[in-house]
This record gives sequence, C-alpha cells and structure tokens, in this order.
Amino acid sequence: MNIQELLSASRVKFHLMSSNKLEVINELIDVLNQDGKLLNKDKYKEAVLAREKEFSTGIGMGIAIPHAKDSSVKEASLTLGISKAGIDYEALDGSLAHIFFLIAVPAESNDVHLKVLSYISRKLMHQEIRDRLLSATTYEEILAAFND
Amino acid sequence: MKMIGVCACPTGIAHTYMAQAALEKAARAKGHEIKVETQGAMGIENELSAGEIADARVVIFAVGVNVEGEERFDGKQKVTVEVGKAIENPMDIIQKAEMKGMGL
Repeated sequence: MNIQELLSASRVKFHLMSSNKLEVINELIDVLNQDGKLLNKDKYKEAVLAREKEFSTGIGMGIAIPHAKDSSVKEASLTLGISKAGIDYEALDGSLAHIFFLIAVPAESNDVHLKVLSYISRKLMHQEIRDRLLSATTYEEILAAFND
Repeated sequence: MKMIGVCACPTGIAHTYMAQAALEKAARAKGHEIKVETQGAMGIENELSAGEIADARVVIFAVGVNVEGEERFDGKQKVTVEVGKAIENPMDIIQKAEMKGMGL
C-alpha cells in the first residue's frame, strides 16, 4: 500500500496546538490547504462539519477521523495530526483524542485512493499501530507503522 | 459459530472498514468464524455468497444507511447496530450475535 502517495511529510503535524474540536478541524484544514489540496477551503470545512453533525468521527480509542468527500477537494489526501496531551473531540467513548486523520476525497475519486483509505481505517483498529503512531517522531516512523 | 456481517456508512470511506476490522477481530477472539461484506464508496466488497449466507447462524448489520440487497438475508437471525457501535464496542455485538445465533 502506497501511503506516502496520500500522506506527504508536509501534512504530518506532530504537535497540534488546538484545545477543542473546532480548533483542531481548522488547524488540520489549514495544513491541507497550505499544501494546495483544496479548491475551496470554506466549502470543504462545511462538508467536514456536516459529516460531524451526522455522526461524530471521534470514534474512540484516541482516534478522530474527520472526513469529507466533496467537489472542493482537488486531490485525495490525508493530513495527520498528533496531540500527546489529547483533545476533547466529543468522542463516542468520552475519551480524549490523540491521533487525527483528516481525510479529503474529491467528489469523483478513483478506487486506488479509496483502497488506501480503507486499508488505513482497518489498520487503526489495532492497538499496536496506534501506539506506534503516538510514539513516532519522524515521518518515516509514521509510514513504517502502516507498512510493517 | 459461523457469523456473517454487513458494514455500511453514509460516506463509505472510513467507518465501514473500521467496523469490519473491529467485528472480525472480536469474533475471532471468541473463536467464531466470520466474514464481513462492506458496502462503501468502492461498492460491495468481500461479497457474501448465497452459500455463506445459508451457512451462517446469524448476520450482523453494522450500518448507518440501508443495506443493499437486504432481501438476501430474509429469514436469518439478525443483530442490527449503528456502525459506530461496532467500532466502539465490537465484543458486545459479538455477544449479542452469539445469543441470537443460539436462538436465545
């Protein structure tokens, strides 16, 4: 699985500054936008928030996966943020979230990208992978957590 | 016990697959056989065959949307949960499925 195709080193943030859900969504979207992956930042944000309203993507186990499939996205891409202290993301299990994957998918997207996303989603269900992500300090360690 | 499942969520790019992984892991930890079909943005994957459906004692629907081809499961014992519940507490759902599968 080619995770580096979807998650570039420039979109990994090891020390998130945010302290609540809305802030962290903004912080991650800024990273994505600065990297040139969005056609319309505001529209993408609206889509992400609409998805959160439907069902919180704070899925517990310290993970949040805000995401939207929308025409405001130029290219399928991931942004990873890590917070050692944890952020209240209104998780299903009430725990703080430490690992944040912001997922952006264009309205029309190819199956290769969706395959990678489903692969990552499945991987995140394993404690060992989550522990490795949390303790990673380099981009290479992040990739290795998924590829080993 | 032979179990089958169907996972689906509105966007179909993340929750569906997390629920699949969570259910598979929990079922196997309890010594069950399980196959989980996903209905996501890539369409139907890991599709359940008529034979697999017939052999299963119980079907788990972990869904946030309608199940495609739900009529395939007519007459089966069913456990239906929100897709998020399957991610959050898969063991609980497997236990419910065990009870249903045993006709309790």
